[in-house]
Amino acid sequence: MTIVNFIIYFMIMVGIYALLSMSLNFQVGYAGLINFGQVVFFCIGAYTSSLLATKTGLPLLFCFLSAMIVSGFFGYVMSIPTKSLKSDYWAIATLAAAEVIRLVALNEGWLTGGPFGVMSIPQPLQSLFSMENYPLFYLLLVAMCVVGVYFCLTLITDSPFGRDLKAIREEEDLCLSLGKNTRALKLQAMIVAGMVGGLAGALFAHYITYISPENFWPIETFLMWAMIIVGGRGNHAGAILGAALIQLFNVSTRFIGAYVALGSDSMASLRMIIIGLLIIIFVSYRPEGLIKEKKKVYHLRTSQEE
Amino acid sequence: MEISQIIVNSLIRASELSLLAIGLTMVFDILKFANFAHADYAVLGSFLTYSFNQGLGIPLLVAIVIAAILTGVFGIGIDKILFKRLRTMGVQPVSLMIVSMGVAIALRNILRLIWSSRTKTYHIAIKQPFEILGARITALQLEIIFAGLLSMVAFHLLLHRTTFGKALRAISDNRALASACAIDSEKMIKWMWFIASAYGVIGGTMIAMEHVLYPRLGFDILIPIFCAAILGGIGNPYGAMLGALILAFAENIALALDLKWLLNLGGLFHFESIQLNTGYKPAVSFVILIFVLLLKPTGILRKE
Repeated sequence: MTIVNFIIYFMIMVGIYALLSMSLNFQVGYAGLINFGQVVFFCIGAYTSSLLATKTGLPLLFCFLSAMIVSGFFGYVMSIPTKSLKSDYWAIATLAAAEVIRLVALNEGWLTGGPFGVMSIPQPLQSLFSMENYPLFYLLLVAMCVVGVYFCLTLITDSPFGRDLKAIREEEDLCLSLGKNTRALKLQAMIVAGMVGGLAGALFAHYITYISPENFWPIETFLMWAMIIVGGRGNHAGAILGAALIQLFNVSTRFIGAYVALGSDSMASLRMIIIGLLIIIFVSYRPEGLIKEKKKVYHLRTSQEE
Repeated sequence: MEISQIIVNSLIRASELSLLAIGLTMVFDILKFANFAHADYAVLGSFLTYSFNQGLGIPLLVAIVIAAILTGVFGIGIDKILFKRLRTMGVQPVSLMIVSMGVAIALRNILRLIWSSRTKTYHIAIKQPFEILGARITALQLEIIFAGLLSMVAFHLLLHRTTFGKALRAISDNRALASACAIDSEKMIKWMWFIASAYGVIGGTMIAMEHVLYPRLGFDILIPIFCAAILGGIGNPYGAMLGALILAFAENIALALDLKWLLNLGGLFHFESIQLNTGYKPAVSFVILIFVLLLKPTGILRKE
């Protein structure tokens, strides 16, 4: 692989993970929903799109849209228990739900190919480009998705809806007392997050052209968590920065691995040890992350000032 | 499968899970956060046991005790370095939960770095299994059930017959009142971490003895433990034991159940046996967990 191709590959992966961490950040940083099963959107998006494309041969645009819809629907399903569960209980439930979906993908071989996964997934508009130029086109596609999602999410979070979500995060009971339907707000937030995650899954599947349950271990969720914790919760730029930094770290340790006399297993463990430590250190010592959330503070005007 | 075999298998699983679940439920109750690293502490202890036993030739029982003590101290150490600081800063319990997830990931991979991801066994001599009412059970499995019962009795005595137990229950009921009665809650929390981690090691080592030991074991048993603790009602150790028992039976029955008779409608159809794919065994606890959380998140036994 030439260096240019490698950089393109790296940037595409940054883009895909940026979508995933923006989706997670939308749940955690805005609505205060602690989702430990974020990988489920990635998984469902990837499987929906690639199965539709390989089994039915429908146009890929349709496959991408279905991936977003199915994944958004799963976001809706996951949001149902939030009405009665405390956030830590819900977090445990999401972790379990993500594992159930991965087990279904692993065991229902008639649909998903079981452990062998889905192979030779078609790539969008492949005939229009040569082999050399295609990755560049895909990078453009991913970049467009990232920019599009960034603007859409910014629009949403700057709207009254976004402020309501932040109010839930800060003080749910107060929000309820103001007559806000917090359940509906959370539900809508999860649908949006699910759609973004599903889009990332579809982009991943059609780029790699081969997916299996191996791609969707729960550890992926915690990579995304590391991204938003390092980058900064509560702002979209932080999520993108975090995705870029964690991916850069991942890739660079792979390069170092070629020069250090350590087995690939040891290098992988070292990498994950550092990811775990990053989560601990950032939450303990810099909980706001690298890019701090801009909070608008409204001061009460007291009568003396007037 | 014979019914007696299901009962035996469930009892073994319940003994293992409940020792892990009581520690989890104590920490969740007193410190108000779900400790995702709990199962990984237990696996650390199991690996220490393995090294003491296989590497240094210390008898297995002694090795377990030393490993449990060391892991207990490790639990106190992590609390002192990480959790105590956040607790006194007064951050939300959710942050503690995320930190514990970071601890779990780091610890799991440290284990993988030191002991490699190859599976390990304790090389216990395999003896001819006994037969009790048609169920086959090995001497090791009998010992596991016995050790499980013994540990639970010891835990009960600890909670009800010692000053530590009384103080811990007082903190659990009303922390402000407990400190007004001159109970040093930080000291009690330290002991609680020790007990929780040490008990986890006994449970984790039993699981590793019966099956195999590998670094990811912690993640694989995490959800069943949460399931047992929540099913029984957080903060109630007896509930955790009951939850483990129910979960163990559910797991074994779900796999043994043959739905053939149901679908054949008394001889109308002739389906082959319809059983749950064994690949779904882990999913049983996940699905039970999700349903418990949906229907009765307070669990079966409420805190006394």
